[in-house]
Amino acid sequence: MSEHRNSEHIVLVGYGPVGARFVDELLPLVRQGAAILTVVGAESADAYNRVLIAEYAVGNADRESLDITDTLAAREAGVHLRLGLSVTAILRSRRAVSLSDDTLLRYDRLVLATGARANVPTLDGVTRVHRDRQAPPADAATLDTSGAPLPRGVTVLRDLDDAQRVLAAVTAGARIVVLGAGVLGVEIALAAATAGAQACVVYHGEIPMARNLDRGGGSVLAQSARRAGVTMVNHSRAESLLFHEDDDGVDRFDALICADGKQIHGDLLLLSCGVGARIELAQLAALPVSTGILVDENLQSWGDPRIYAIGDCAHVAPAPRAGASTALPSGGPSGLIGPGWRQADWLAARFTVEMVGRGAALPLAASVSAVVMLKSEGIDVVSVGNTGADPWDRAADNASIDAHAAGCSGAPLSVSQWADPEHGRYVKMVTRDGILEGFVCVGMPRTAAELTLLFERGSELPADRSVLLRYDGPDYEPSAGSAFDPGATVCWCNGVTVGAIADSAAAGNTSVACISSATRAGTGCGGCKMRIIDVLERFATSEPAAGTAG
Amino acid sequence: MPVARTHCPYCALQCAMTLTPVETPVKTDAAASVSQATAVVTVTGREFPTNRGGLCKKGWTSAELLTSPDRILEPLLRQADGTFEPASWSDALDLVASKLREARAEHGADAVGAFGGGSLTNEKAYQLGKFTRVALRSSRIDYNGRFCMSSAAAAGNRAFGLDRGLPFRVDELDAADTILILGSNVAQTMPPFIGHLEGARAAGGLVVVDPRRTATARLTDDGAGMHVQPTPGSDLVLLLGLTHIVIAEKLADLDYLASRTTGFDAVRRSVSQWWPARVQEQTGVPVWQLRELARRLAGGAARGAATGSGTYILTGRGVEQHADGTDTATAAINLSLVLGLVGTTHSGYGTLTGQGNGQGGREHGQKCDQLPGYRKINDPAARAHVAGVWGVDPDSLPGVGLPAVELLSSLGEPGGIRCLLVHGSNVVVSAPNANRVRAALKTLDFLVVADFFFSETAVLADVVLPVTQWAEEEGTMTSLEGRVIRRRLAVDAPEGVRSELWIWQELARRLDSASTFSAEASEVFDELCRASAGGLADYSGLSYELLDSEEPAFWPYPAGSTGTPRLFLDRFAHPDGRAHLVAVQASRLGAPAQVDGTLTLITGRLLEHYQSGTQTRRVRELADAQPEARLQLHPATAEQLGIIDEAWVEVSNDRGTVRCRAEVSTDIRFDTVFLPFHFAGDQRANLLTDDETDPVSGMPEFKKTTVRVRALVEAGAHV
Repeated sequence: MSEHRNSEHIVLVGYGPVGARFVDELLPLVRQGAAILTVVGAESADAYNRVLIAEYAVGNADRESLDITDTLAAREAGVHLRLGLSVTAILRSRRAVSLSDDTLLRYDRLVLATGARANVPTLDGVTRVHRDRQAPPADAATLDTSGAPLPRGVTVLRDLDDAQRVLAAVTAGARIVVLGAGVLGVEIALAAATAGAQACVVYHGEIPMARNLDRGGGSVLAQSARRAGVTMVNHSRAESLLFHEDDDGVDRFDALICADGKQIHGDLLLLSCGVGARIELAQLAALPVSTGILVDENLQSWGDPRIYAIGDCAHVAPAPRAGASTALPSGGPSGLIGPGWRQADWLAARFTVEMVGRGAALPLAASVSAVVMLKSEGIDVVSVGNTGADPWDRAADNASIDAHAAGCSGAPLSVSQWADPEHGRYVKMVTRDGILEGFVCVGMPRTAAELTLLFERGSELPADRSVLLRYDGPDYEPSAGSAFDPGATVCWCNGVTVGAIADSAAAGNTSVACISSATRAGTGCGGCKMRIIDVLERFATSEPAAGTAG
Repeated sequence: MPVARTHCPYCALQCAMTLTPVETPVKTDAAASVSQATAVVTVTGREFPTNRGGLCKKGWTSAELLTSPDRILEPLLRQADGTFEPASWSDALDLVASKLREARAEHGADAVGAFGGGSLTNEKAYQLGKFTRVALRSSRIDYNGRFCMSSAAAAGNRAFGLDRGLPFRVDELDAADTILILGSNVAQTMPPFIGHLEGARAAGGLVVVDPRRTATARLTDDGAGMHVQPTPGSDLVLLLGLTHIVIAEKLADLDYLASRTTGFDAVRRSVSQWWPARVQEQTGVPVWQLRELARRLAGGAARGAATGSGTYILTGRGVEQHADGTDTATAAINLSLVLGLVGTTHSGYGTLTGQGNGQGGREHGQKCDQLPGYRKINDPAARAHVAGVWGVDPDSLPGVGLPAVELLSSLGEPGGIRCLLVHGSNVVVSAPNANRVRAALKTLDFLVVADFFFSETAVLADVVLPVTQWAEEEGTMTSLEGRVIRRRLAVDAPEGVRSELWIWQELARRLDSASTFSAEASEVFDELCRASAGGLADYSGLSYELLDSEEPAFWPYPAGSTGTPRLFLDRFAHPDGRAHLVAVQASRLGAPAQVDGTLTLITGRLLEHYQSGTQTRRVRELADAQPEARLQLHPATAEQLGIIDEAWVEVSNDRGTVRCRAEVSTDIRFDTVFLPFHFAGDQRANLLTDDETDPVSGMPEFKKTTVRVRALVEAGAHV
């Protein structure tokens, strides 16, 4: 734990799952005193696994199972944890950050893992959050609400407090209105319905999860969700809220009013309208930002090589060369945990290489589109990448070539599709040169699992795509062929087949004992004796046929 | 000679058999003796808790090798022109001794090394360790068990403080409600074992995890259980994911964890990141199946506490023979501990030992860091005790040597081994990156191989010493359940064939070695028992007399005890008495894109063959059934590559090339191909495997090799 005089000071802002992963990976460096690590986290609780927050909110996971890091071990290793505090400014010229307790913290390297906050849509009845770009909130507890808390009975679902509000409603069997049919919205509605609450999802377009699914996949999902007891209200633009007064005189959510005039009543309104990266600190420090903090392939800020960003707040894109177009890059943070963890691992490894010269610095793997999977028991939805193409649509191909202009081969897109809405099954595979560029898979879990592996590795699909569909068929796992196929093994211990027993029977061995002595079938574990009897009986009844064949 | 009540020469199940000498070889009607027409003994199965009188094809035909025309019947010396000429034992041993002395004088004691095997008796394994350290004064000894049990052994030691493959009796599995088998094809590798799965099958609780739909996986058909088919190399993630579900669904045995283990919190935190959907992404196993499996395991454990029919988790080489094999076995152990299985009367965790004496062979000094009794060679108290038994100065014992892959890589290298003795191993076939091993053996100044046959390794030797087979010797073996059993003499060895014990006695004398080296198995065993006293694998209460009384003998068996059929009932072997959960990470994710015939190769075994096939390829009936290697691949993959069943294919990567026929089968995933490793020449699966090893156990990566497969156009040309 001795801190070398010339150890570098690393300051990490944000102690969510990505920040915690970064800390874990840096522990060896901290233990040997090669780096001094200070973590500033706004939530006073230890880092927890935010991915499972919806599970927690419906009572499927307890608080302990969200634990993801050993804060005590980090402290013992010598990490300085400053929790319940926020950073109010990055003072780049002084290489320091100022904290909400009015102290300054010097850094050699600053890592921003500030994450994202839930979006609150513009709704009549909900005070709009006004963010003062010049002065971020000094109070860590109001980092996101900026003094404009949501009305009673309205919540987002991002942190432990939100989850407890939802859990109370779920436990009470309340009616929960979910606004937004993204993956989290659909997940929570399904889970709440399973847990005994009444759930209703309200969304703009025709289908749920419109960012991830094509029309076929979305339609099958909506139908499956309805079967699971969730009310799916599509084509509905939410406009305002109705309230009733609680006994203490405070307004409480009563109904959501849509543009077409329909009122959707409920006990809790859960806003599930996506997330936005927390970029204020970077913006205030005049670092380049888009929808996230812009960092290059080394996760280094476009504007300051001492500042890094990882996770939900980071938008990884190549830095423009001098004189190049100043247009902001498209895309943005993925909002998924996998890429965030990969960035945390990679950055910690790189710091280790740079500070103690151990290991090798491999380039950060280019991020492929992340697979989106609906976490729900009973309804399987997995999708990734380009899912818009249509089997008969050459124009879609051209459009997509434009969209993927960089690094795209000239091979055309091919689409294979299987739709069986009646049974809740739908698969679309979009390939180029036999390699997946995207897929949608609903209601076929084994197929989805295989497609995910194929996509992640960039592997070639079997030319006969129906091989993949058969994984979920009822015929996939029986013993191949008939149990009385001549080649079928009867005695595993001695490798004796139906054919060998039939031959032996034909030679006069018609009892199990004779068969055992002649072929050794049944002389190992003895587990096959009943099957030998079956084969003998069958042989006896089909003898004439066998005779002809022989 | 009277009948001999002994055990099979092959796998770790050590099926009991009776060998009856044949006065005049006669042909009998019984098929069991068809191949023994000229045999000197007949084989019959013998009632025993492990095999209940049954034997597999390998056991039934084992006697054929006693009279095989391929047998080496006198010492052979390589001549200047590369051919071998017979020599007398005294000439051969004089030569070996002088070469050993020479190498030692010129390059130091560590320039001489020994490579052992998991098929050697306890007496030989013990004596080889002693011979190397006392007579050769070298630290350079290791054995082929490094390719077999080392990951599970390291994980078991880390978790329980002790490594006995099955810490319970095999026949206790009969009562199980649920058995999870990970990466083991027992229906082919030790067939009579599957009789012990019947209870779980009847309860619908046999779960087999294997990328292939093996004979064992098929035992789950028709409601007997479940086959889980992950992509190769994803076992660790699968286990972390199952542990996640068990904890998240509140199925963990928290009372057990609190009272009998340490380290749960770290494991709980470490598996938080492996929620089911993410596990599906990495393994290809759908979420519903993961949940069903986790619930079944926990249900079995709960039923076990109530009715005595619990849950057992068993691992095999499929999950252990990886460069992260120790961590994978650890993850299986963690899952078992979280479920509260280990050290109960109704449930458990175990690893299925492969080689005949794979258990005993890893207890008494064949490992590079070990002294008899599973003692650590760098522990001063262990050195003092063993040196006392051997009558030598503790300081004269060498320190820790090199594990197998490193030892083989050091052959002929500067500062490496110049002169090697190989006993009970055929490394040219069984070691990874076989081309490199073969080349390295050729750089040696002197290679001595003791074997029954001209194995692929013996062919490279300077001196080949013919040794006794199982029916021609006395000794003990320790089976997969930690039971010490007797191997008994049924027939005299041919003239000119000697036991290794005699060979080491003779060499030790020629080398003016300290201590004594008995050639009498019972004397060596008595010494082994004394040397093991107080160690983890304590045999000090055993003797031939006790074993011959047919009393069940499970180690630890300290003097004055009656042995330990079930371990850990009261405490684990760590000083604090608890099992230690060790959080492990899955860091080796990702695999190369599979395009243009790039596939993942897994290697494994066939029913008909044992290990490198040196023996079984010489049994006519076995060789007829499986005469050559076949590459198993999925029809969809075969179609894509233009390969039809039976066609010749080439499997290659930058280490080597295998040419063999294809076996097109839906029993395998379409991203995976399978090759058995029993065959020689350019059908050696280990031409392709990598010698990257596990950082803890030294286990090579046998089960996740990237290869390229293509059809050989000049098909018929090879026929």
